[in-house]
Amino acid sequence: MHSLIHKTLPGLAVLGLILTGCQPDLEAPEAATRGTADFSRYIAVGNSLTAGFSDNGLYLEGQQNSYPSILAQQFKAAGGGDFVQPLFPDANSNGSGYLRLTGFDANGSPVTAQVPGNAGRNPGAPGSAPYVRFEQPINNLGVPGIRMSDVQTAGYGSTLGNPYFERITPNTTPTAPFETYFQRVKREAANATFFTSWLGNNDVLGYATAGGASSTTTTNVDTFRLKSNRIINALTANGAKGVIATIPDVTGIPFFTTVGPRLKATLLSRSVAGLVVMTGAAPGGPATANRKVVPTADIRDASGGRQLFTLTGAGSVGFIGAPTGKPWRDLYRAGGGSGPAGLAALLNAYGVDTTAAFGVTPQNPFPSAFVLDDVEQGNITTALTSYNNTLRTQAAAKNLALFDANGFFSSVVQNRYATDAVVNSTSFITGNIFSLDGVHPTPRGYAIIANEMIKVINAKYGSTIQPVNANNYRGVRFP
Amino acid sequence: MNLKHLLLAGGALLTGTSAWAGGFQVTLAGQKNNGMGGVGVGLSLDQAAMFYNPGALAMVRQNGVQIGANATFARSAFRAQSGTEQRELRNSTVTPFSLYGSFGPSEGKFRAGIAVYTPFGSKLQYANGWEGRYSLTDIDLKSIFVQPTVSYAITDQLSVGAGLVVLAYGSVNLQKDIPITGQSGQPGHLELDGKAKNKLGFNAGVFFKPSDKLSIGVSYRSRVDATVEGGDVKFTNLPASVGANFTANQFDVTLPLPATTSVGVGLMPTEKVTIGFDVNFVEWSSYKSLDFTFAGNNGGGPNAGLVGGSTTSSSRREYQDALTFRLGGQYQVTEGLTVRLGTSYDFSPVKDSFVTPETPDADRVGISTGITYKIGENFGVDASVQFIDVAKRTQTQDDLINSGTTDRVAGTYKTRVVTPGLGFTYNF
Repeated sequence: MHSLIHKTLPGLAVLGLILTGCQPDLEAPEAATRGTADFSRYIAVGNSLTAGFSDNGLYLEGQQNSYPSILAQQFKAAGGGDFVQPLFPDANSNGSGYLRLTGFDANGSPVTAQVPGNAGRNPGAPGSAPYVRFEQPINNLGVPGIRMSDVQTAGYGSTLGNPYFERITPNTTPTAPFETYFQRVKREAANATFFTSWLGNNDVLGYATAGGASSTTTTNVDTFRLKSNRIINALTANGAKGVIATIPDVTGIPFFTTVGPRLKATLLSRSVAGLVVMTGAAPGGPATANRKVVPTADIRDASGGRQLFTLTGAGSVGFIGAPTGKPWRDLYRAGGGSGPAGLAALLNAYGVDTTAAFGVTPQNPFPSAFVLDDVEQGNITTALTSYNNTLRTQAAAKNLALFDANGFFSSVVQNRYATDAVVNSTSFITGNIFSLDGVHPTPRGYAIIANEMIKVINAKYGSTIQPVNANNYRGVRFP
Repeated sequence: MNLKHLLLAGGALLTGTSAWAGGFQVTLAGQKNNGMGGVGVGLSLDQAAMFYNPGALAMVRQNGVQIGANATFARSAFRAQSGTEQRELRNSTVTPFSLYGSFGPSEGKFRAGIAVYTPFGSKLQYANGWEGRYSLTDIDLKSIFVQPTVSYAITDQLSVGAGLVVLAYGSVNLQKDIPITGQSGQPGHLELDGKAKNKLGFNAGVFFKPSDKLSIGVSYRSRVDATVEGGDVKFTNLPASVGANFTANQFDVTLPLPATTSVGVGLMPTEKVTIGFDVNFVEWSSYKSLDFTFAGNNGGGPNAGLVGGSTTSSSRREYQDALTFRLGGQYQVTEGLTVRLGTSYDFSPVKDSFVTPETPDADRVGISTGITYKIGENFGVDASVQFIDVAKRTQTQDDLINSGTTDRVAGTYKTRVVTPGLGFTYNF
């Protein structure tokens, strides 16, 4: 027995050694380095996308997952400093209020509900208390709704009432509330070492999401160039380096690509040859040029077609062919109207007869606000092309990194975006990149944007900032 | 405990087997072969010839039974391109085994036998929350083959043999997470579990021993398809609002267990020394894609794992045929003690950017050693240890996108496998 132990013990010892030494180890990735960039004070200039707007609202979770916040977190490993965002406090974490998904209806269409805001400012009541204020110096200067054309507008946050800019604009002296966005950027840029700038989306988006039917037009291209130049000059005045982002083609977002394909399938199944829609914003009755026939085959889906339908029109699709005024009433209310007199005036101005079949007769056409037709898309493309050329030129002139968000999102529309066996796409709800408003990204979408920006930063400045694992950021949250 | 003891112990434990071969092949069919880098096609060592080369069985003069088992300890490291943490497997041990019995008249030309072995299998349990969890969290693939065999010595120098290969038992269990976030923030989970249908194939070989110092063998094992019909599908932790879209409850799948052609040479320069050299050619190119068909909706479709799905799923494999080279030898130290040493080099059938978590494969170098200790005339104990080093292999997300293989994870794999084994032989 003793000899058996004598013989097996060394064996067991060797086996133990082998198993311990067997576990392989892989080298850790290289530590993040800053290259020629200096991330010690990073500021982010932009609009809702920069603020972390999501699910048709600005609320704490979205702010915490904004792409500037993700970037700043990754910059920290390479000398990045603290990054202050005008976060809503925990007690007001619902912010402006936002949409949540409550389920799917019998047709499989998503159903959403509004989570009410709890940070002041009721959107339905312009006179309500302002949002809880945030007046300290901030790094994230994203202001939802702001256009390039707004950056030098005095009183943009006060008399003109952008509640998000109002929130972060000091009101200590009588003149302070009139500080422009440009002045604020200049103030924060004075000691900034690095910046991202992504402005200009709203200069086409407002026109686009209104189906080309609002009085808002796209920003004049010369105005855009002038204002953009001033912002970039202010940002680079002290030698800061940074990233300029181009503006994605809005016609690829789910807001415009979700309703059309479903509508087309319904019309084809019912053998409806086409729709009668309104186009543009010009008043006029059935015989005027604001009426237009859209052949069913021309509705854009995977197989082709040009005409886009907005997500806001989803509820009106079911009324096609019925004598109804409901879509007009909904539209009137959504535009802030109330009272029968105003509605009657609206119907009268456009010569709408709600007893005619909706969507298939010139007397009761499908509203312009729900259709982005090929002519309107052409206007957007023209403006976008010019804006993006401007941004590219300016980035090159200042030797800045360029994030071609337009090229990137076009490629995602075409090829989807896969990471670690998860395929994300620009599809509504199932794609996980875009939130419930069909315009703004989910936290996952923002993480993907941050990773793309890190790519161009590393390429331009020779830094080795690590990307994040996009799958650790949520897409659409299902009930 | 002196040095001699240590060396002896080490030798005993390093008695090896070619633990895993490329893909999910396991070549651990005989303890003596295991100790010699997995050679055996050109040799007539013992009853394990039924696996390596049925033609050599008739040259194994004694009747006998042998039983052997191995414990495969795989240790793996993975770093995702998107991650910072090194991921290791939740350690598990698999136990390939083999059982042989052969019978025949002591001076006759016939010999018959039965073999039971486990030529394919894989068990990997990835770390909780690892980056590839939407591709795979766990796999457990088992197969047991039974092979009745006959062998006939045409002359003293030439023998042939063949066996009927029966896939007697096969099972597959695959699990992964589904990238759908509910209110809890936890992803959904999918488990596929099924048993393979019994299938038949064959194993045949020719053995030629022109002199006492030289032997040559050729063998062929046919392809057997492991087919699961009506396996169980289980979805868990899906958000209520989408759960109804995942109606799949049964799946069908076919996994090819590829054909293998082997050529082996044996050299016996002295009575005490045997050297073997084998080349295996495995027709992995039969494994083009892994296709599941579901009864009901798997929620797959254009956006894998999401609502609006489909009843099928297909994942590109496109394995290529692969060669394995093996070299090994044994030396009879005393009447009772034989020691062995061997090595192998195994080319991976998996192309670049096609590596999947279920077979994190790359070229493999194997080293093995073993001993036999005979106790009396009829009884012997065989032990072996095999060490396999799987080359480090990296694939980036861009590689995956370019190859259309985005259903797997980007990163770097490195695996080592240690497989000790023990066997008992009784000859009569």
